[in-house]
Amino acid sequence: MAYTTFSTLSNDAMKEPMFFGNPVNVARYDQQKFEVFEKLIEKQLSFFWRPEEIDVSRDRIDFLNLPDHEQHIFISNLKYQTLLDSIQGRSPNVALLPIVSLPELETWIETWSFSETIHSRSYTHILRNLFTDPNEVFEDIVNNDEIQKRAVDISFYYDELIHAVQFMQLHGFAQTDIKYVNIQGETEALTLRDIKKKLYLCICSTNALEAIRFYVSFACSFAFAERDLLEGNAKIIKLIARDEALHLNSTQQMLNLWADGKDDPEMAEIAIECFAEGKAIFLKAAEQEKEWAQYLFKDGSMIGLNEEILCQYVEYIANQRMQAIGYEAPFKVKSNPIPWINHWLVSDNVQVAPQEAEISSYLVGQINSTVDSEDLSTFEL
Amino acid sequence: MPSKLIYNDQQYTLDADKTLLENLESQAVSVEFHCRDGHCGACRSMLVSGDVTYSSFPMAYLKEGEILLCCSKSEKNITIKSL
Repeated sequence: MAYTTFSTLSNDAMKEPMFFGNPVNVARYDQQKFEVFEKLIEKQLSFFWRPEEIDVSRDRIDFLNLPDHEQHIFISNLKYQTLLDSIQGRSPNVALLPIVSLPELETWIETWSFSETIHSRSYTHILRNLFTDPNEVFEDIVNNDEIQKRAVDISFYYDELIHAVQFMQLHGFAQTDIKYVNIQGETEALTLRDIKKKLYLCICSTNALEAIRFYVSFACSFAFAERDLLEGNAKIIKLIARDEALHLNSTQQMLNLWADGKDDPEMAEIAIECFAEGKAIFLKAAEQEKEWAQYLFKDGSMIGLNEEILCQYVEYIANQRMQAIGYEAPFKVKSNPIPWINHWLVSDNVQVAPQEAEISSYLVGQINSTVDSEDLSTFEL
Repeated sequence: MPSKLIYNDQQYTLDADKTLLENLESQAVSVEFHCRDGHCGACRSMLVSGDVTYSSFPMAYLKEGEILLCCSKSEKNITIKSL
């Protein structure tokens, strides 16, 4: 079961399952078992952008003028987004590339994860502009208990899968000489089916991350921009949201292809077997996002968004996302409590018309036009 | 006679040049949407009768009988309902 970077076995990729078949050898895209992944690659490439293209200089003024509790909301939200993309920038590659069997899916995973690294770079771009030294903000991501609680849950399913796959690739499945000790330090009998279950749960958790958790954070970013505040940040988040719609689509595709028996038949069985566990992952993610809303608004709400509305949105988006992969809607909420968010999620008008928003690049020269000698008092030659 | 679009048992007129989503919006029906580009799946609906043609590849996963409103058009009478 060792991984090989180029298998010399002549296999037909059209007959392979998505995962745990033969390793991909020839990177060919003239034919695809699942055309959608090729389409996703093309779309993601066409979406390419760089954070430096967006001018965020006006945001600093807006940020400094925010009351303390709104600064807390904005920065905590940004920290959380940084955490999510730190995980997504590497995990799909590390967890999924060693086990993928289709060339178009392999390249999609790489394209997907690469675009997440652009997102991570854009948070640095935003924070560098807001703070002279953003170090404190970055350091808090690993020290803040509220963020930590989420990080552990999100990375757990990836880590479980990676750990088991690494064991399998080194030792195979005959655990006569070496026992498999799982990530929690317990001995576990590991079969291919067990690893496939870990994969299924990992994709559920990833989908919950991209389809629910991210959207809760987007709601906060866009709520500021709805008040014409921090618009540079919102433009970046808009580009990020456009990418995330593709990413969440890809994990929905995987889950649905499995459940509908269009891929590995064993994965179809696992989808039924792990139905309840998968559901629990989504419900827990929704629960954690509500706790997060409580933390965000602990010192007060902002115009247009408060804990209650954000919690309703968590339930609303969780309903939508769970229905998309065959679960029943678990929450009562029927209509979108923040309908204005949809206009920020449209993919083809990411370029904002000049009459609709302040174009941040026009404002570069007027950041600080009143300078007196006091401002230069700390200046040394 | 203009074609008909029936959505959740309500009858609307159908403009074959517009997407189904635009048809509904222009008649003051609010329908869920995000990307309007066929990849997010927010506008998935059930096709009860009729046919659709897609102006761009519908990327979101569609189960039997489901369509995306944002990137589909119809020239003839069509009946759809929300999920």
